[in-house]
Amino acid sequence: MSAILVRGLLFALVWWILAGGRADGWGVGLVFVVLALLVSLRLNPPGQGHLSLPGLFGFVGFFLVQSVRGGVQVAAMALRPRLALAPAQLEIGLRLPPGPATRMLTATLSLLPGTLSVQLEGDRLRLHALDGRLPIEAEVRAAEMRIARLFGVRL
Amino acid sequence: MGLLELLSALLLLVGAGFYLAGTVGLLRFPDVYTRLHALTKADNLGLGFLTLGLALQAESLAAVLKLLLIWPLVLAASAAVSYAIARRAQRLGIKPWRRPSES
Repeated sequence: MSAILVRGLLFALVWWILAGGRADGWGVGLVFVVLALLVSLRLNPPGQGHLSLPGLFGFVGFFLVQSVRGGVQVAAMALRPRLALAPAQLEIGLRLPPGPATRMLTATLSLLPGTLSVQLEGDRLRLHALDGRLPIEAEVRAAEMRIARLFGVRL
Repeated sequence: MGLLELLSALLLLVGAGFYLAGTVGLLRFPDVYTRLHALTKADNLGLGFLTLGLALQAESLAAVLKLLLIWPLVLAASAAVSYAIARRAQRLGIKPWRRPSES
């Protein structure tokens, strides 16, 4: 019950933001809030554990720093007069429990420096790396740890 | 020009720079996988700076929040789409480009 309330309020907030704070769109807004709520309950039923709030802050901070690193790194590679790419593919066994946590890690890794998620099967993740000479696995493990904390999982 | 406008202009310029770099990467990188790297990282960071710069000029709280909401939503879409493209490329048997060995 509380999950429905929290999600409903969250979607209502998103609508309020999208409507630019105007009050005259709430009729349409209500329809979409309910639809979003139904889809969310179906795709991600409540009761699968909670996100940890300190974990969320830690993750957001980590993500912001890594985004800047990733963007700067790839921009520098693109703008170099001579391309210095050394791509590699690797497969990594994840320690996170399969499900939302591994999916979140798969999505996150595509946005982090040097890695692109290619295929997730169970707990095996195939990655493409822009430069295989960099310590890819260490970066993956760091991201994995942040996501474990976010989902309140112990590795 | 106030300090806020100056900071905003600076952020917008930095954002545009990352977009430019991302596009150069898209054109120069050798295969689908490396090009996805350019798009998912440089362009996303460019968008982050752009929305931040615009948020500094926004006139209401709702407008600020809307701009700040755009970034995570686009990131989520970007991550999902790049995964879909990369996985499909893999299924089609497209081999990643490799640096020719220097002998």
